[in-house]
Amino acid sequence: MARDPKHDILFEPIPIGPKILKNRFYQVPHCIGAGSDKPGFQAAHRSIKAEGGWGGVNTEYLSIHPESDDTHRLSARLWDEGDVRNLRAMTDAVHAHDALCGVEMWYGGSHAPNMESRCTPRGPSQYASEFETMTYCKEMDLDDINMVQGYYVDAAKRARDAGFDIVYVYGAHSYLPLQFLSPYYNKRTDGYGGSLANRARFWIETLEKVKRAVGDECAIATRFAVDTLIADAGVEVERDALDFVRMADDYVDVWDVNVGDIAEWGEDAGPSRFYRQGHQLPWQRFIKQVSKKPVLGVGRFTDPEKMAEVIRSGQLDIIGAARPSIADPFLPEKINQGRADDIRTCIGCNVCISRWEIGGPPMICTQNPTAGEEYRRGWHPEKFPKAGSDDSFLVVGAGPAGSECARVLMERGYTVHLVDDQDKIGGSTNSIATLPGLGEWGYHRDYREVQLNKLLKKNKESQVALGAKKLSVDDCLEYGADKVIIATGAHWNTDGTNALTHDPVEGIDTNTPTHLTPEQVLDGSKPIGNKVLILNCDPYYMAPSLAQKLQEAGHKVTIATGVGLGHYMHFTLEAPNMHRMMHELGIEVVGDVWASKAEANRIQLYPIFGDGYRREYRGPGKLPRRENTHFDWHEFDSLVVVTGRSSDNELFTGLKARKDEWAANDIKGVYLIGDAWAPKLMADATFDGQRIAREIELEDPQHPKPYRREVAVWGSPYLPGDKFEIEYDI
Amino acid sequence: MKILVPVKQVAVLDEDFELRDDGKDVDVDFLDYELNEWDDFAWEAALQLQEQHGDVIEIVPMTVGPEEASDSLLKCLGKGGERAIRVWHESLQDSDPAVIARVIAKVAQREQADMVFAGTLASDHGYSQTGVSVAAELNWAKAAVVSKVNISPNASCIQVNRELEGGLEESIEVQCPAVLTIQLGINEPRYASLRGIKQAKAKPIEVLSHTDLGLQDSDVGIAGSRSRVRRMVMPAKGQAELIEGSVVEQAARLADIVKQLRGGV
Ligand SMILES: Cc1cc2nc3c(=O)[nH]c(=O)nc-3n(C[C@H](O)[C@H](O)[C@H](O)COP(=O)(O)O)c2cc1C
Repeated sequence: MARDPKHDILFEPIPIGPKILKNRFYQVPHCIGAGSDKPGFQAAHRSIKAEGGWGGVNTEYLSIHPESDDTHRLSARLWDEGDVRNLRAMTDAVHAHDALCGVEMWYGGSHAPNMESRCTPRGPSQYASEFETMTYCKEMDLDDINMVQGYYVDAAKRARDAGFDIVYVYGAHSYLPLQFLSPYYNKRTDGYGGSLANRARFWIETLEKVKRAVGDECAIATRFAVDTLIADAGVEVERDALDFVRMADDYVDVWDVNVGDIAEWGEDAGPSRFYRQGHQLPWQRFIKQVSKKPVLGVGRFTDPEKMAEVIRSGQLDIIGAARPSIADPFLPEKINQGRADDIRTCIGCNVCISRWEIGGPPMICTQNPTAGEEYRRGWHPEKFPKAGSDDSFLVVGAGPAGSECARVLMERGYTVHLVDDQDKIGGSTNSIATLPGLGEWGYHRDYREVQLNKLLKKNKESQVALGAKKLSVDDCLEYGADKVIIATGAHWNTDGTNALTHDPVEGIDTNTPTHLTPEQVLDGSKPIGNKVLILNCDPYYMAPSLAQKLQEAGHKVTIATGVGLGHYMHFTLEAPNMHRMMHELGIEVVGDVWASKAEANRIQLYPIFGDGYRREYRGPGKLPRRENTHFDWHEFDSLVVVTGRSSDNELFTGLKARKDEWAANDIKGVYLIGDAWAPKLMADATFDGQRIAREIELEDPQHPKPYRREVAVWGSPYLPGDKFEIEYDI
Repeated sequence: MKILVPVKQVAVLDEDFELRDDGKDVDVDFLDYELNEWDDFAWEAALQLQEQHGDVIEIVPMTVGPEEASDSLLKCLGKGGERAIRVWHESLQDSDPAVIARVIAKVAQREQADMVFAGTLASDHGYSQTGVSVAAELNWAKAAVVSKVNISPNASCIQVNRELEGGLEESIEVQCPAVLTIQLGINEPRYASLRGIKQAKAKPIEVLSHTDLGLQDSDVGIAGSRSRVRRMVMPAKGQAELIEGSVVEQAARLADIVKQLRGGV
C-alpha cells in the first residue's frame, strides 16, 4: 500500500548544519547496554533502525573522559582510540542505510559516581548529587572550566574521526551544562554564576569551542531540559529557557528539547501509567517561537497522525523517539508503506529503562523481543528464517508467550494451532490492561491479534481457536500436532505462599469469602468489603495498582508489605508518581512487615526486623537469635493476597508423565514457555515465545542455544599498540 | 438417515477493493475466501446429531464451486464426515440462487438424502434464497432461521425452534424429508484438530458436473437463471471534515455544523 499523503510531511528532508536529515524520524540518544564495549550490539541495534527508516540515530549518552564515569550504569565512552575503533562499527553500519549518526557527549558532574575510574568529578559548585547520593564534586575554578571544555573538544574530534555526523553537547537530565544554567546547582558568584548570562556562559562557550573544532563537518546538537519542573528553584521554560535559546541559537544546528531532571527522569521518559503521547509539548512548543534552528522533541510518539499534526502545527520540526523506536525499529518504513496497522506500538511500560537503572544489562522490550538480540542472536525484527521442516504445532495458551510463539512460527511458514479458552488473544494481559493507567499495555495483545489474523489468511491450515474448551492431556496427545508448546501462564498464590518464608501463611485461603486473589478482584467474582488489606510480597505493580483501583472505587485500603512497595517501579521510573498517588489517595502503607497468621477478618503482622539482632549458635532446632515478640492484629473486611505466583503447568507435567505415549501419537516434543515455565516479566514471557519459535529445529529447543558474546579477548590490548600482559609498576 | 449440508465458499472483501471491468462484481484480486459462517453452524448441527445418534446418521457436505471451493469442504471434513461432493462446470458461472438450489436438489435426490441443512444466508450476497429454494425444487417441507433441532432417526417428524422478532421463538414440527436453514448461535461450532485436518485430506471429494446430475447447459448459469446482476454500485459516502483553527474558530465551525444539521441557518 502507498503512504497516506497526510503523512508526507514526515518524509520531507530537513537540513541540520552541514548535514541533511532525510526525514523527520529521529532516534534520540538512549541506552541499550552496549556502549563502546559491545560494538557489535551497538552497530546492529542502531543500524536496524536505520534500515527501518529512521533518518537519524544516536548512541546512548557517551562519556567524554574518565572523569565522567557512570559505572555501575553503562554508558558509551569516547576516551581513546580504542573507543573510536569500536564505535566506527556503528557509524559504518548506520551509514549503509543512508541515515545520520550522532553521539551524545556527556559529562555528569556529581551524578557520575566514577566507580571504575576513581576520578573526582567537577561541577559548577560543590554539591552532593540528589541522584547518586554518595558523590560530591569539586567546584570548578577557571582552569577547571577550561580543562573540562577541552575534554568536550577532544571528544568531539574523536567523534568526527569515528564517522559521526551529529555531535551533541548534552545538557538535559541535569548533566553538566545544565548544572551551570540551573540555580538549583549553580551557587557561584563569579562570571559563571548569578545572572542568566553568567549561568549560560559555560554551555555557550562549550558549544562555541566544539563548533569551532568540528562544526564544518558535523552538525552541532544540544539536548536541553527546557524546564526542570521545580519552578523557580531550577530552569523554567518561560523564564530562563527561552532567553538561553536566543543566546545559544547561533552555535546550535539542532535543538533537542525535553523536560525534567535525572533523579526523576520518568517526567521525560513518561510511563504510560501517567503520561500520554505528546505529554511534553506544553513546554517544548515554546522553543520554535524563539529559535531559527530546527527543533526536535520526544514524547512517546507512536501515532503518525499525531506526529504529522505536531509538525504541521509548528510545535516541532522533527519527531524524536526513544521507546517507540525500540518497540518498532521499522516504524518509519511502516508509515511510509501505509502499513500503520503493522506498527508494534510502545506500551510505555519502561521495562527498557529498568535495565539501565539496574546498571546496564542488555536492554529488553516487552513489545519487541528482538530488541537487544540483533547482534548476539541474529534476530531481525521483521524477517524470519524459513521453516526448517513440515512439523505442525499446537500452542496452548494465547497470552504473551503463546501468541508471540504462534506468530513467529507462522511467520516462518509453519502450520500452527493456537488454542485458548478465553475469547480473546492476550491471556493475562486482558485483565492487567484493565488496571488503572495500564490500558496501553493492551497494545501488546493488539499487535499480536492483528498479525495472527493476517497470517491466518496466508495459511489456511493454521487456526486460532479462541473460546475453546480447555484442552486435557488426552486432547493434546490426540491433537495430531508434531510439537506441542505449553504456554498456559501462571496464577496468584491462593494460600499466601511468598518469597520471604517460602511457605503459605497460616489461615490464608482465597477459597473463603473474605480472602481474594488479584484475579478475583479483577474479574469481580467476589464481593469486596469496605476495609481492604492488601498483603504484598510482589516487587512490581500488582499491589499498588489494586490499591489504586479499590481506593478509587471507595474502599479504604491498607497495604502491608514485606518487600517494599512497587520496588521494581523504581527502575521503570513509575515509583515517584506512584508514591505521590498513594499519598494523595490516602492509601496507608505498612512497611517491613510480614504475616504470621490470618483469620476471616483479621491478620497478624510482625516486623520483619523484630527482635534478635544478636546472632549466636544455640543448637539444632533453635533459631540462632532471639525470637520476635512483636505481633499486631489488623482488621479487615477483605484481604487481597498479592504474595506470589505459581505456574499453571499441569498440562505440561501431565504430558511429560505420559512421554511413552508421544511416539504412538506422532508427537516429537512438548515444550514449556512463559509464565507456565516460571512466572516472569511480560517482556521475558514474550521473549520465550519468540526464542523457541526461532530455535524450534534444535535438538533441544526447550533450552536456548548459546548466543554470541562480546567480551574482552585475552591477548588483544584494547588500545591499539598497547600491551596486555600483567605488568607491575615497580 | 442421511443429512446433506450444502456449504458455500464466500468472498470476503479487502479493506480497499475495486469492481470488475464489467461492473457486475468485485474484482477477484480484492477478494479472500472462507467458509460461510452460517454453513459452519449448519455443519456443526449435523455433526452434533451424528454424535448423538451414531452411525445411523450419515452427514455429507457439498458445495457448488470451482476447485478452490474444496477448501470449505476440507474445513468441514476436518471436523467430521467421511466424504464430500463438489459440483462444478464453467457453465455454472454466474448462476443465480435458484439455479444453485436446482443443483443441490439434484444432489439430494441422487444421494437419497432425508434432510438438507443449509445456512440461513450467505454473508457475501445475502440472498437468503438457496435453502428455501431447495425445498421448493424438491417439494419438501421447510423451516427457516432454525435455532434448535431435535431429531429421532426414523421418526416421520422433527422438532425445531425458529427465531422470531423480539426474542420470541416458535417451536414447530416439520414433516420429513425437510430442508432446514440454520441460524447463527444455534450451537458453538467446534475447531478442527490438526489430526482432523490431516485426515480430511485423505477423504474423498466426489466431483460432478451438472450433466452428471441430468441438467442441461440451458438449466444452469446465466441461461438457467431467472435473475441476473446488472451492476454493482458503491453509494456515495458521507463526508467528513477536519475542523482546524484556534479553539474559538473550531467552536464556531462546530456550532455552524450543528445548526445546519438541525435545519437552522
Ligand atoms: C532505555 C532508555 C535509555 C535512555 N538513555 C538516555 C541517554 O543515554 N541519554 C539521553 O539523553 N536520554 C536517554 N533516554 C531518554 C530518551 O532519550 C527520551 O528523552 C525519553 O525516553 C523520552 O522519549 P520517548 O518518549 O520517545 O521514549 C533514554 C530512554 C530510554 C527508553
